Amino acid sequence: MISIENLSVNYKSDSDVYTAISGINLTIPEGGTLAVIGPSGCGKSTLLKAVAGLIPEYDGTIKINGDELNPKKQTIGFMPQNYGLLPWRTVIDNIRLGMKIKRAPELLDRKVLKKLMRQLGIEGLGHRYPAELSGGQQQRVALARVFALQPDVLLMDEPFSALDAITREEMQDVFLKLWQKNNVSTIFVTHYVEEALYLGQRIAILSASSGNINRIVDNPLFGGKDIRQNPEFFEMSLKLKNSIKKDWNQAWEN
Amino acid sequence: MGKLVSLWYLLAAVVLTIIWFVVSQLVDLPIIPSPVLVVENLADIFMKYIAIHSLYSLWRIGAGLLLAVAVGLPLGVIMGYFPQTDRFLAPVVYLTYPIPKIALLPILMLLFGVGELSKVFMIFLIIVFQVVVAVRDGIRAIPNETYYPLYSLGASFKDIFFEVLWPASLPKFITAIRVALATAISVLFFTETFGTQYGMGYFIMDAWLRVNYLEMYSGIVVLSLLGLILFTTIDLIERNACHWQYK
Repeated sequence: MISIENLSVNYKSDSDVYTAISGINLTIPEGGTLAVIGPSGCGKSTLLKAVAGLIPEYDGTIKINGDELNPKKQTIGFMPQNYGLLPWRTVIDNIRLGMKIKRAPELLDRKVLKKLMRQLGIEGLGHRYPAELSGGQQQRVALARVFALQPDVLLMDEPFSALDAITREEMQDVFLKLWQKNNVSTIFVTHYVEEALYLGQRIAILSASSGNINRIVDNPLFGGKDIRQNPEFFEMSLKLKNSIKKDWNQAWEN
Repeated sequence: MGKLVSLWYLLAAVVLTIIWFVVSQLVDLPIIPSPVLVVENLADIFMKYIAIHSLYSLWRIGAGLLLAVAVGLPLGVIMGYFPQTDRFLAPVVYLTYPIPKIALLPILMLLFGVGELSKVFMIFLIIVFQVVVAVRDGIRAIPNETYYPLYSLGASFKDIFFEVLWPASLPKFITAIRVALATAISVLFFTETFGTQYGMGYFIMDAWLRVNYLEMYSGIVVLSLLGLILFTTIDLIERNACHWQYK
């Protein structure tokens, strides 16, 4: 479970203080997913980084499974926009990297890793370098890396945005399958309404200007079969898009 | 692959020797002896006279290089990874970097004497700046996304260093050494012309003063081979340590 209370982050430059997010309250139940959607510059990456423990100074509280956020104690799987794979490590070493840092050799079970790689369709790529892989394959390696850790929390920053539309939908399915098996509390940031609807149990819409949450929508379609083909899916995404547009236009006018 | 590369080296050596031979025949003066005579002479005197000189030169280069790495690598890492220190150290580096190091030689000789120390220190000075700047820039070029997953796992500085900073800056670091080494060898030659009785610089200049052109050329050939050995060693290290770059 992730609970965020009254979270604010200010960036200080030499002469200025800039508020990226303020007054964020969120709870993600054990094994739930939350999509965060918002325009660029609304602070959604900042929110994710704060939960990832990448921002040392913030106001408010972030708790993971009841304990104060601490990257050294909890296992936080963070998947950055460009997969964050190390170009100088082979695929298998990239996947093992997290365990090495966590000093968790008990997770280094060859059979488990092999099974995970098979599920992701990257078996046999273990000895290649990231530069030798396609974008979709790199994405799969990044997923293997976070899931292999059995993290307390999974955080994804624009996870599938660098992929072409067809690969993206494929990867969303791959992710969903893995997530259902592992049941990890997940927050992901996206700018695709369809992605938010497909992968998010709940969807938090960040406001365009103030850096807080405009509203949180429960997603009744989540987990349904082939919901992308469902007319309700289209309807809901259209409705969401329109309400987001309205909010953002208002923000621009102010 | 390895075979092919050595074949190209051999070809280069053959072509250069042919040009040398043709020029020596055209000019027909003692100042440019035929390579055949030089090789004969080299075979005669290498073990007797030259080997000890080449070892001296090699030791000076090696010691200067090691010292430069020992100082330059940590400094480059610190400057690249902690921007605050760079703000303070960059002006210091930039102000001293462009000074022709050879201009400092009189000072070095006063401080460290005319012997080994000033020669080693000279090589150190030439290489260290290139190493600092290359390592720093290599580390600066690492995108933040590379660090994020490691930070969020609570990685220590040791983890960051061995998983990211070291492998990311290694190719730049090796290139810097390769570039600096050529200058270092030329300057070494110069510093070996005084205050010592050993070193390839001494041997070549001494042969020249004795108007023994065959020995002088033998020395030049050995110096060139010395460079070749150093550069191929660096290439080999790079191929082994950074093979991910060639994928």
